[in-house]
Amino acid sequence: MELDAAEQQLKGMAHSEQHYFNSYNHHGIHEEMLKDEVRTRSYMNAIVQNKHLFKDKVVLDVGCGTAILSMFAVRAGAKHVIGVDMSTIIFKAKEIVAVNGMADKITLIQGKMEEIEIPFPKVDIIISEWMGYFLLYESMLDTVLYARDRYLAKDGLIFPDKATIFMCGIEDGEYKDEKIGFWDSVYGFDYTPLKETALSEPLVDNVEVKAAVTDPTAVLTLDLYKCTTADLAFEVPFKLSCRRDDFVHALVAWFDIDFTACHKPIRFSTGPHTKYTHWKQTVFYFKDVLTVQQGEEVSCNLLVRPNDKNRRDLDIKIDYKLDTQDATRRVEGACEFKMC
Amino acid sequence: MASSSTQPAKVPEDNDPLGDSASSAADDDEGWNDVEEDVEEDGDDDDGETQQVISLLDDRVFPDVMSMLVHCREKHGFDFLGVRQHLQLDFHGCVRLVNFIRQRAHEGLPVSEDISSSDLDHEQYLKPVLDDDAVIIGLFDLPELTPPDAQVGGGGGENEALVNDLLKRNSELQEELARVSAQYENYRATVSQTLDERWGDVAEPAESSKAGGAPEKEKAKGMGGEGNGEVKKEDDSKSYWESYAGVDIHETMLKDAVRTDAYRDFIYNNKHLFAGKTVLDIGCGTGILSMFCARAGASKVLAVDASAIIHKARENIYHNNLSSTITCLSGRIEEVTLPVPQVDIIVSEWMGYGLLFEAMLPSVLWARDRYLTPQGLMVPSHTSLWLAPVADPVWVADNGPDFWADVYGFDMRAMSAGIFDDARVLHWPTDKICGTAAAAFKMLDLYTTTAADLQFTAPFSVTLEQGKNEKNKDPVDGFLVWFDTFFSPQAPADRMQGVPLAADAKALEWCLGADGKKDQDRVAFTTGPWGTETHWKQALLLFGLDKEDKDKAAKKGDNDGKADAEDEEKKDEGAEVVEKKEEQGQQEIRGEITFSAPEGNARALDIWAVWNGRSQTWALR
Repeated sequence: MELDAAEQQLKGMAHSEQHYFNSYNHHGIHEEMLKDEVRTRSYMNAIVQNKHLFKDKVVLDVGCGTAILSMFAVRAGAKHVIGVDMSTIIFKAKEIVAVNGMADKITLIQGKMEEIEIPFPKVDIIISEWMGYFLLYESMLDTVLYARDRYLAKDGLIFPDKATIFMCGIEDGEYKDEKIGFWDSVYGFDYTPLKETALSEPLVDNVEVKAAVTDPTAVLTLDLYKCTTADLAFEVPFKLSCRRDDFVHALVAWFDIDFTACHKPIRFSTGPHTKYTHWKQTVFYFKDVLTVQQGEEVSCNLLVRPNDKNRRDLDIKIDYKLDTQDATRRVEGACEFKMC
Repeated sequence: MASSSTQPAKVPEDNDPLGDSASSAADDDEGWNDVEEDVEEDGDDDDGETQQVISLLDDRVFPDVMSMLVHCREKHGFDFLGVRQHLQLDFHGCVRLVNFIRQRAHEGLPVSEDISSSDLDHEQYLKPVLDDDAVIIGLFDLPELTPPDAQVGGGGGENEALVNDLLKRNSELQEELARVSAQYENYRATVSQTLDERWGDVAEPAESSKAGGAPEKEKAKGMGGEGNGEVKKEDDSKSYWESYAGVDIHETMLKDAVRTDAYRDFIYNNKHLFAGKTVLDIGCGTGILSMFCARAGASKVLAVDASAIIHKARENIYHNNLSSTITCLSGRIEEVTLPVPQVDIIVSEWMGYGLLFEAMLPSVLWARDRYLTPQGLMVPSHTSLWLAPVADPVWVADNGPDFWADVYGFDMRAMSAGIFDDARVLHWPTDKICGTAAAAFKMLDLYTTTAADLQFTAPFSVTLEQGKNEKNKDPVDGFLVWFDTFFSPQAPADRMQGVPLAADAKALEWCLGADGKKDQDRVAFTTGPWGTETHWKQALLLFGLDKEDKDKAAKKGDNDGKADAEDEEKKDEGAEVVEKKEEQGQQEIRGEITFSAPEGNARALDIWAVWNGRSQTWALR
């Protein structure tokens, strides 16, 4: 009956919201996330290795899913954990928590964070795995920030508490040709109308570290104690300095996550230089190919903001400019992307 | 995905040039007649209303074309007549050249004499950039083109030759006009349909071409309100298809070379079957199959799709200069109005996971009964379903209930409830197939199959592999199901009789001729584990625990937690299961398999199998 009520509630939402929550009802996605060792192990270490921080504390798990983080918190000595999730996966989480003998330590609430009441006026720690592709796509950071402002006690902790997006330029001619050039001739036919669409969709995929032509640059750093939802729409100019003579076909973006409250700080990265995660990296292809020389700089400007119609979608604009003495290589352009 | 809201607005816009071209051509018809008369009268341009000739390269205005061209040559270094001579442009070509230059100038692009014939080889340049462009009318006054090898000075009878030439050109233009008008008719039908849709006169399309290669995450998203009421479902399908307006799924399908090559090879190798024929392409997607048919010589192709991708198909077709042959119709095949009473050929790529999942085959069969001529051709002509037993304990341990038994030290077995209820779509390695033979359990002759035939029960029998490695020690973990697709060039003499094909024909063998070489006319492909991987992969039906095993598992779950001793016991129990299966000595698996659509969701698929005293149901969702 509880499940029915939850489904009824989902039905009342906008389609895009329904899809978002329903997509998390399936096993597959939870299996993929749990099997992402970089992710799950980092959270486990951050929580379980810091019993001194969790002991006797009240913890809020935002978007708890299968409640794995809630159970880590109990294992670390938390007095009580409240797990909140809109998706009906929470009914499975209840069974899991009970089977693991933690039913008295963990309270699970189905609903939207913004609409429910939790049985504590304040919490000492907020834990959440809220990150999406390109950090912000389909992310529930705004929900975490809401929970912070509403429930987090003064001097309370957030796990994780820092997120940084990096970008660098990559040589990706072969793959760009396969993904974008493909539409120039499909079985001998001109398919260029689909090329524009392909160019406007950032590609979530694994990039090899050797593809990096420029140094990486941090383009956004979020301090979860201070940031606001307004920070999630941002514009930032940045420069990428070229490490070698090569071509730049695209920018690749990834993010690092920090748990700075830990006794020994814990960090994981989703970049091309490190172990695979289910977030992979996000590639933004340029229309032009930049021919760069070692030591030159590519000037860029990144504009990111939630889509007006569906705030979980992102509108992204990247301006790029290669200003060199060599007029034949001078390029300036702009690309617009939509993550949806 | 890619905002479907912008697409409907975008398409008419992109197609506008086509519409303009057609209508201006129609308007100019009279104008050209006037000119012809002028020429016949006195070849003089002075009929009172002197038109102002606007320069090709700037805003200057001239009384006649020649002085304008002199200006262009002297002021801008562009020798129009030189280019014309170089490219040997006829009147038609000159029109294209004028519009090409005007278009570039209009876009602020530089114009040089370095123009090739291919630059001009676009229909768009037949459309005047300037309304009533005096330069185009004035082209008749230009000196004759010198043939490449002839020297200047043609001699007498020049006027007569000119008139004949102009008459010839005129008739060519008339033909061109007829062609463009036909194109315009298509366009007009499209526009009125698009507008009807936008104004809500037609119900928003709720189904479409294909779900074949849906990425898994998208799939989950698309399942929004499964199991809800009828009206709701329509809504969900709508957003489902909106989410497929992106290119991913089409890229996956086009890059599935097994699939796309098969259609291409059949169509191109059998051009005689397509020449001059009317073809219906159901669920056309990006329009690839329609374009194959048009290139193969079809005189008319009707491309139908209910998803927003049809707008991209229309653009693709236009870009490939096939708009006069292919007409795109947006909507369900059951609801669109075809401009013809009958078609000679139906082409469709309707196959889904497990062949019939989310299938649009009932729509194809409906269209066959409604539109296909008695001797018409179905492409493809047959599909068959196959099954084989599989065993892979390692895979099952990683992906079955065992994974959930211990997740970072927590018991998450609650997540494994229903884990055996869904068929899984994956590509299975052949060395994990434990039967010596695969069984063909259903052949669908697409000439005779009815929608009712798609819910069926069929017997099967497979033999387990013996004496090879230790494979036969493993219990069977499940069945793998896939399909073969056949393209027969043979049309039936009587459709009710169908086209004969052995029930157990194997795609990879059937398309070979008697000499063992590839038969050019026959095409077939398999989606099975021995073939090249396709985007359909295979469907895995994982066996659940038998009742006995379940009891044990439940018992084990109850007194959970007593560590080591319990673990020992668990191992023992595992061994027992293996032994039991061996004891039964199941050398052969015989049974029945049933495909059906669950009540209230015609697009989903339930598979039910009964074998060796067991039975189980799987859902494809």
